[in-house]
Amino acid sequence: MMAQLARLAGSGASSARSSLGTDLSVAGLALVAVAILGNTVEEFTAFEWSLWAIQAILALSLVLIWGYGGIFSFGQAALYGIGGYTYGFWAINFADNTGESLTAVVAAVVVGAAFAALLGYFMFYGNVTNVYVAIITLATSLVLFAFVNSTSGSEYRIGDAPFGGYNGMTRIPRLTWRLPGGASHELTRVQFFVVCVAAGLLIAVGIRILSRRPFGRIAVAMQHNELRTELSGYNVRAHKLALFTIGGGIAAFAGALFAAWGRFISPPIFSLTPAALVVIWILVGSRSSVAGAFIGVLIVEGLSSWAGGADGNNEPIVLGAILIFIVLFLPGGVIANAARAWALASRQAANRQPAPPNSQEPAQASQIQPTASPVLDWMAEANGERSNSPIATRMVTKRFGGLTAVDNVTLEFPSTGVSCLIGPNGAGKSTLFGLLSGQYSVTDGQVLLDEQNLTKWPAFQRARQGIGVKLQVASIYKELSVRENLWLACFAMPHNRETADVRTEQLLEWLRLGEHARNPAGLLSHGQQQWLEIGMVVATSPCVVLLDEPTAGMTREETRQTGELVSQLGEWASVIVVEHDMEFVRQLGAPVTVLHRGRLFTQGSFDELSGDERILDIYLGRE
Amino acid sequence: MALDRLFNLGFDLFSGIAILLLVSIGLAVIFGMRGIINLAHGEFIMLGAFATLSGVRSGMNVWLAMLIAAAAVGVFGIVLERLLIRRLYGRLFDTMLATWGVSLILVQAVDNHYGSVTEGIRVPVGSFTVGEFSMSAYNLILMGAAAALTTSTFIVMRKTKYGLLARAATQSPTMAQELGVNTSLINMWTFGLGSALAGAAGALLAPLVGVIPTMGHTYVARSFMTVIVGGPSFIAGTVSASGLLGLVENVATNRFTPVIGQAMLLIAAIVILRFMPQGLTGRRDTR
Amino acid sequence: MNAPREHRIRSPWLRIAAVLFVFVLLAAACGNDDDDQAESADDRASQVEQSTPVEEDPGDAPEPTQEPPTSGEVQEEEEKAPSVDESTSEPIRVGSLLDETGPLNIYGTPMVDATRLAIADINAKGGVLGRQLELVALDSKSDQNEYITGADRLVAEDLAVVHAGITSASREAIRPTFGEAELLYFYNVLYEGGVCDRNTFVTGVVPTQQLQVLIPWAIENIGPRLYILAADYNYGQISADWVRHYAADHGGEIVGEDFFPLDVAEFGTTISAVQSAAPDAVMSLLVGGAHMSFYSQYAAAGVNESIPVVSTTFGLGNEQVALDPVSAENIIVAYPYFEELDTPQNRAFVEAWKAEYGDDYPYITDLAVYVWEGWHLWADAVNAAGTLDRDAVIAQLESGVSFDSPKGIVALDGGSHHLVQPVSLARTNDSGGFDVFETYDNIPPSFEQESCDLIANPETNEQFTPN
Repeated sequence: MMAQLARLAGSGASSARSSLGTDLSVAGLALVAVAILGNTVEEFTAFEWSLWAIQAILALSLVLIWGYGGIFSFGQAALYGIGGYTYGFWAINFADNTGESLTAVVAAVVVGAAFAALLGYFMFYGNVTNVYVAIITLATSLVLFAFVNSTSGSEYRIGDAPFGGYNGMTRIPRLTWRLPGGASHELTRVQFFVVCVAAGLLIAVGIRILSRRPFGRIAVAMQHNELRTELSGYNVRAHKLALFTIGGGIAAFAGALFAAWGRFISPPIFSLTPAALVVIWILVGSRSSVAGAFIGVLIVEGLSSWAGGADGNNEPIVLGAILIFIVLFLPGGVIANAARAWALASRQAANRQPAPPNSQEPAQASQIQPTASPVLDWMAEANGERSNSPIATRMVTKRFGGLTAVDNVTLEFPSTGVSCLIGPNGAGKSTLFGLLSGQYSVTDGQVLLDEQNLTKWPAFQRARQGIGVKLQVASIYKELSVRENLWLACFAMPHNRETADVRTEQLLEWLRLGEHARNPAGLLSHGQQQWLEIGMVVATSPCVVLLDEPTAGMTREETRQTGELVSQLGEWASVIVVEHDMEFVRQLGAPVTVLHRGRLFTQGSFDELSGDERILDIYLGRE
Repeated sequence: MALDRLFNLGFDLFSGIAILLLVSIGLAVIFGMRGIINLAHGEFIMLGAFATLSGVRSGMNVWLAMLIAAAAVGVFGIVLERLLIRRLYGRLFDTMLATWGVSLILVQAVDNHYGSVTEGIRVPVGSFTVGEFSMSAYNLILMGAAAALTTSTFIVMRKTKYGLLARAATQSPTMAQELGVNTSLINMWTFGLGSALAGAAGALLAPLVGVIPTMGHTYVARSFMTVIVGGPSFIAGTVSASGLLGLVENVATNRFTPVIGQAMLLIAAIVILRFMPQGLTGRRDTR
Repeated sequence: MNAPREHRIRSPWLRIAAVLFVFVLLAAACGNDDDDQAESADDRASQVEQSTPVEEDPGDAPEPTQEPPTSGEVQEEEEKAPSVDESTSEPIRVGSLLDETGPLNIYGTPMVDATRLAIADINAKGGVLGRQLELVALDSKSDQNEYITGADRLVAEDLAVVHAGITSASREAIRPTFGEAELLYFYNVLYEGGVCDRNTFVTGVVPTQQLQVLIPWAIENIGPRLYILAADYNYGQISADWVRHYAADHGGEIVGEDFFPLDVAEFGTTISAVQSAAPDAVMSLLVGGAHMSFYSQYAAAGVNESIPVVSTTFGLGNEQVALDPVSAENIIVAYPYFEELDTPQNRAFVEAWKAEYGDDYPYITDLAVYVWEGWHLWADAVNAAGTLDRDAVIAQLESGVSFDSPKGIVALDGGSHHLVQPVSLARTNDSGGFDVFETYDNIPPSFEQESCDLIANPETNEQFTPN
């Protein structure tokens, strides 16, 4: 039981190990068990349980978009309501003629997904994120609430189906099916219950399949580090939109089942309470696990039904206390804790056995492969095909409010070779990188790559065009394994799983991170994290490599190795390094550009500039 | 338009804005300073109202009762922070779950204690007339109170040692800790201050609304809209968001219907966040 | 977002224990559902009341010694012939489904209290067909889904009649279920009117009944210019239609009209609009807790002294108690029942009520009396029909039974399944109550009588709306 739970609970990254077969057999067993149970209990008990199954499907939609994709939405209940109303309109108008209501379910899913797509487009393409998404989705539900409540007049109707206003839409047909030419069959309560559970399990398995596919892995990546995902060349907004649309379809599907279940739907479905309840369910279960959706609904709805029985008036108090208990003692949800406990317990059991003799401490001063790594080969290959692509800025200016961070800078870098960019803090070096990579939009001026004007391009398109950037503070997926980090970067460019798998292993070897491959990247040393990020940049075969303080936090030896690595890269690409470590800059022996107060100060070789008093002045702040 | 009508329109507008500001400012402190999505915020307002009712019923002067009610909700907030919230800082979603639980408990506990219907209190001051229009003098007090509470919150945050430490604890908790600031204690006071402000809102509204255990639901969604639309610089943000949303709602209600007014408030919030993804006071440019 | 700094349980075993704890609770919850298959009512929400004389009932606390029958017993009972078998002295099982908890308990609590009192009263007077009534009461917790599952459970309970539902949404959610199951259904609430369904009987007053009394009176005694403020949902909109209708009939004029979502609690703009329009009276059709604020704000602005309020909804949620006497001053309402009605029947009723629920009971609303009438009308009809058979009972009810209610004689209108009942006008007083100043007897549900004739067309099943 625990083992299955633990396995079921695995989130995107770790679930790559468990197979589809396991999922299907767990789901199959669960379905058989539930079907047997459903046939032994009273009809009205099965009827009540159907609601829980439907609510679990609704919760699954949020697990998909929030648990996997990191989009925190308060709008799932509204999409559920839209699905319910659509089913109602369709079934009331057509079910009498067609003898089935399955097309109404399809219509509900389509309308729900379309609504989600519209709303998602509106939000994600306006760069609305985090809690702001929550508020927009909530406000949207409340607008729907106000609107549907005021539709009591008989003029508000679609075909034969009136909206019904606050009183709701009534006499919605049950779920009915019919083979072409055959008689139509209305599902009995027990059949309906089994159908709901089966649908829920299917969707759960589907979500887990999705989570193992690149699409799902990118979703998880997006959740952990949106910026890095975008900088690797993924269209984060399109991914979010796709996820949100699928989630909307699932929520609307649940809504259609709900309308068929109660044969009734009314506006409070768009109010605050249901919107929050969906979130509460999966916070109680676990937001990163499909099992969490089922368990969360069972706990919250089961307890409120039970607590109501114990003493009606105190149901909210009991439920509130349970929620607080879960937050305090089972953070992350019941399922996540069950999984963690299982993992801990099995690790403790394993620890009692003597450690295998060959497990060594990771060598701190691991060396980067000197030359002739296949990594450089595919970089060479990629850039050999490209025409030489110098990157340049033309009079770019960037202002943040009143602060001018980059002021009218015109620069050009050679198409291969290393260049250094130095300047005191606040000189605008990182901002300039941001303008090149597309993290920031330019206030004025142009960014050119190979004569192409990239100024308006979003970051992910620039990444696909060959601009790779390592940020000042290592931007990696700290919670994901080292291997997953590299895989995500490798998959970005050729979009081919096999190639990505091969290249991941090659990179692991090149970076000497093989022994850490399965550990979360956040556990690596500072230096290793820098290398990992450099590896992730290299994985996209860039023609322009922007490295922002690559040696920060490195030992002397690591710094030296990094210098070699940068020089290697310089053979195939234009590498621009921002660095404070002058020793490192000297080692690179590359042309140096000095920025000061957002302006281009001077350019020259390291030796030329090291004698320049003015540079010492600006570094020491004496002018 | 006649002058008295004009005055009356302005009076309604500022009353609406004052109420929006009152119900939001406590949340702004808690959300803005500590990142807590307090789903029990509406219930804090409700507690302030009930505490005022209890005070008046026990023979207390109504203004004194309001003061004590606000303080009592502040103390309640401090106790809650010590027992629960303190363990949840930095866990945005867990605080939602926990405060949702708190809100369920509070509504039912108040219902059990007071029953579903409680005797209300009268508005302590009368009305005045401008031209053809008779208006509530109490609304002037509401406007004054909203302005006073917002200003004093601003002053507390800017000019006092506590305010300095609180902002330090928000912006860089580790640094503050290393400098010897007892961040835990500072956080407690911050939560207490936010709760007291919510309690004050409830106390001030008590004579004007039906005081029932579920009254918090009316305010929680719109106060969230206001605070979030306001954006990161939370006092200035909440003031400007109350002003803007209040204006939109008031004009739409006046011009069209209350339903459209309510819808327009929500739609304005949606549109603002779409085009200013960090809120009114957010940095305009991220990408 | 920052990485969570969680306060975690270190030991895996403690963690397992915590998870197990939650699962045990859950198992308890499910287990509970398993064995309450058939007697759900008993341990879910309800008080089973069996031949409890009024005096012995222990207040509104839950029965201290609830002993849920084991499922075995219940199965046995289920397998027996249904309670429709008249030759037995087994109690007759009857059902109720009301919002005892949640926001709607403002209406639900008095209705639940009235249900218990009515059953006890019927039992004390010898029961129905010589048998005692046994109540299966479910709590719908102000949750629409609980209504849907609750109705399904009640159908499975094998009952003789169900009295259920408060909001119109809840009625519409459950009415079809009872209709299909041919389980006789009573809806005992004031509502927007128009339901026409052979299986459904309504004891609540409908807007036409209140307004055909209130509007002419207001136009004659206050003035012809009315400003309508209504809740923006079915009840408010349909009632507003009727206000317009009756105002036109009696020479009145509607000078303004505003509809409010149910959660609006600020009325400043509206109060100004009312002053601009300068009507003779405000016709309030506002409903619910948030709308209660209107009266406070109206009084705070000092307008209530110059423009009085007339209403068919004020008092429904005990507004006159919840508002201070100044805010609630001088509002004219029209209802069939007021606690203050000075008739012998009502004095006895109030006395029995206070003996049961205490002298400090806030106010006996008219909702409570509809429930009282619903149960008694049904009991009288069954006794007259001599059988529990649904069709026979419906026929008996349609033949025009009447009942001497605390508010006077009420009679069932056979064609429309609604009540012909008295309607009184009253003015709020400064002690949280009303002063009744005029009573009109035998006010018919005129719209329902016009639009609905279930004797002629028993197959009709819809809710008619004006226009």
